[in-house]
Amino acid sequence: MSDPITIEFGLDGERRRERIAPNTVLLDLLRDRCGRLGVKASCERGVCGACTTLIDGVPVASCGVFAFSVDGSSVETVEGRGRADDLGPVQRAFAECGGFQCGYCTPGMVMLTTALLREHVEPDDELIRSWISSNICRCTGYQMIIDSVRRAAELVREERG
Amino acid sequence: MSAGHAVVGTGTAQRERHAVVGTGARRSDAAPKVTGGARYTADVRLPGMLHAKVLRSPHAHARVVSVDARRARALDGVHAVLTRDDLGGLSPTYGYFIKDQPVVAIDRVRYVGDVVAAVAAVDERVALRALELIDVVYEPLPAVPDIDAALAADAPELFEDAPPGIVPPYGTGASGRLRPRRNVCYEFRYETGPEDAWAECDHVFEDTFVFSRMNHFHLEPFVTVADVRGEQIEIWTSTQNPFPLRRELARVLQVEENRIRVHVPYVGGGFGAKHNCKTEPIAILLSRLAGRPVRYCLTTEEGFLTLSQHSAVLTVRTGVRADGTFVARDSTVLLEAGAYSDGSPLVAEKAAYRMPGPYRWKRVESSCACVMTTTTPTGPFRGFGATQSTWASESQVDMIARRLGMDPYDLRMKNLKALGEPFVPGESGIDSDLAEGLEVVAGALGYHARPRTPNRGMGLAIGFKDGGGVNKPAQARVKVSTAGDVYVSCGTVEIGQGASTTLCQVAAEVLGVPLRRVVYAPINTDVTPFDQGTNASSGMTVMGQAVLRAAEAVRAQVLEFAAERLGCTAAELTLRDWAVRRGDEVTPLPGLITAVFGGTGFEFSGSGFFKAPNSREAPLDAPCVFWEIGWAGAEVEVDPDTGKVTVLQLVASGDVGKAVNTLVCRGQDEGAAVMGLGQALFEEMRFDDGVLLNGEALDYRVPMAEDLPERFVSITQEQGHGPGPFGAKGAGEGAMVPVAAAIANAVHDATGARISTLPLSPERVFDALQTR
Repeated sequence: MSDPITIEFGLDGERRRERIAPNTVLLDLLRDRCGRLGVKASCERGVCGACTTLIDGVPVASCGVFAFSVDGSSVETVEGRGRADDLGPVQRAFAECGGFQCGYCTPGMVMLTTALLREHVEPDDELIRSWISSNICRCTGYQMIIDSVRRAAELVREERG
Repeated sequence: MSAGHAVVGTGTAQRERHAVVGTGARRSDAAPKVTGGARYTADVRLPGMLHAKVLRSPHAHARVVSVDARRARALDGVHAVLTRDDLGGLSPTYGYFIKDQPVVAIDRVRYVGDVVAAVAAVDERVALRALELIDVVYEPLPAVPDIDAALAADAPELFEDAPPGIVPPYGTGASGRLRPRRNVCYEFRYETGPEDAWAECDHVFEDTFVFSRMNHFHLEPFVTVADVRGEQIEIWTSTQNPFPLRRELARVLQVEENRIRVHVPYVGGGFGAKHNCKTEPIAILLSRLAGRPVRYCLTTEEGFLTLSQHSAVLTVRTGVRADGTFVARDSTVLLEAGAYSDGSPLVAEKAAYRMPGPYRWKRVESSCACVMTTTTPTGPFRGFGATQSTWASESQVDMIARRLGMDPYDLRMKNLKALGEPFVPGESGIDSDLAEGLEVVAGALGYHARPRTPNRGMGLAIGFKDGGGVNKPAQARVKVSTAGDVYVSCGTVEIGQGASTTLCQVAAEVLGVPLRRVVYAPINTDVTPFDQGTNASSGMTVMGQAVLRAAEAVRAQVLEFAAERLGCTAAELTLRDWAVRRGDEVTPLPGLITAVFGGTGFEFSGSGFFKAPNSREAPLDAPCVFWEIGWAGAEVEVDPDTGKVTVLQLVASGDVGKAVNTLVCRGQDEGAAVMGLGQALFEEMRFDDGVLLNGEALDYRVPMAEDLPERFVSITQEQGHGPGPFGAKGAGEGAMVPVAAAIANAVHDATGARISTLPLSPERVFDALQTR
């Protein structure tokens, strides 16, 4: 195996410096080394989206990228979006609209929505539907997630004034 | 594109006002789940924890000549290897009725993916490398790839000796048999009514339907963390039925049940898959061998090799009078059980028993056989036999209507059972107004005024199942602290369905406290009251009644206590916001409690129990707790050039009696309906000569948001006839069950072509259009 390498990146607003094997996958770095268990591991083939995180603002399946590729980047996970006693607007919307059931896809859906609303302040249903079609939810039938995203857009707009 | 949800109340449910029940209260698990703070078994980490991987059979069927793991054991980082040589002192096979599945292969492997050996190592990579060092010699045997091959006269028998098995007690008209013929592990039969009813029929129609096989595709994989310390076995596992699992593990391991402690963190979806032994035995045995905690987590691909839904061939013979009155139905169902029986015998009971559907008959005969093949084992899946039976029954109802020149809606209305009419002799009465429910859906779809446009059509279907499980007992405990903080403790697992919220709502309503004061206790089988499992849509009608009674017991204790202190009778007092009220006089309870028990406080604690009474008259040994009805209507457009079916509208509805939480009920119905949509149109495990072709996330297509119909409407009916708390019924499966038949019926309406095999892929529809 090749020698470990050192990477530096931002994680939910903090600077991290990690010494990793070059073949370390970002998902494993986040969960096993950085304690971000809120980032969910499911298909680990870049299909289901449960592990979606934002790399420099872009939603990415963290199971499908090597950890070294985030050297110098900023990584955002669901755990940076708010706390149980201080939910962020997207999280509040999902809680309010019941846009989750088992909750395993929810961290990914929250991150996807966060990225969507940074690009589009007022997304219509068509856009919401196509945007969240990158991630699988096996429980809800999606409609209540779509409602959650629409509500999140309202809350984000309110927050921005 | 449009969507909507409505709550439609018609019975008493809407008239009664409650403080906590009947709202769309935010779910209690919302904050942990939207912040990523919710902990699942997949997140459990223990100090010194090892990681397990298993070696799987490359053969569909083979004799295992030898397993040599010496090289694997010698690899650096490997702490334990489990093969058939390590099963001494165990009772090494498991299953529901039939104990036929070995912890690791003993004499044979019976499908591609069957587990042969397991390794625990410092990490998964080392474990995988060790697997390559296990030398297995196989002697291939002929495969049995499908039902036809299994039933052929010269088919190889998958089990030469009968595995240990039982037939449970049945009541009037029902019977079961182990191994009635070659490669059939179980057969269930039911009959009622006079045989000469067939003589009254003007027409007898016989049709055969084929039902495809889905994977559960729960996002949290099958996973267990086991920690064996001396005689104490402790596991954290992603399971739906911790108590039956504990019992089965104790039998397999030949230890006392109270040596096994099962913790169930949040479960990331189950849909029926996570019952009984899955990853647990191997995790425990490796931990015992290694002397360290072991985490055994399957990949999605391995999930496809662990359990799936039953594919089925259903032949239905239905006799009717010339005016469309149903008279007699004889159904023969063949379920593909795969390599091991798992829950197949139980699914067979229900698939056969539910074949009459929601209609009135003079004579019913049903049989269902579980056919063993060399494919992934099949077991419980949302719908549990009703999805299969409804696919056949509701497709045939439409076919009969068209043959008789009737509208399918009218034929259904003519034959539906009335509210309160028993399903069959000895059974409980139907607790939904079936006709009213059908009209709700037909109305929302616009069925009666549907335009006659080429290649467009509408279809209806009614999903039908007995709900609440068979002979299912439930126990719950509710306790309240000095300050009025409430705990609900019971064995219903929060798998996404929302039970941890709705059961707390029931307790909050009884105790007069806001929902936020009620906590759902984590499940630990040492202290949690016994429960049979989170299945059969039983959470509200079975466990809900136990929680209701436990909360009522606590309330009675509190009122008795306060009455004694206040020198009155309990009947004069009411409980609200953790104070007792007597007329205008309000006495907060904390002061009363500390006056008696001192400043260190006290807890009131009450237990509740519920079980439907046994009855020999009831075919399944106890009358059904509630009837889970799902109505669906679809409008489709079929492209005649490609066979592609576009669902323009899908209306799905369940009757929940009374919605304890409207958000939760909506979520259950919509999730179920979309799973049905996938089953109808594209979702399928595809096999070629018994070999799974699409057993991974990329090739196996589940519904995505883009697959939603242009108009998707869900309607939560509150008809008010349920047996559960506040008139509630169960939910979760009903709205999935009718969807495939509604869509096939709409395709028939649109094109005149009948598709009797699922899914309704463009190729299959195109072929049907050519031969119509």
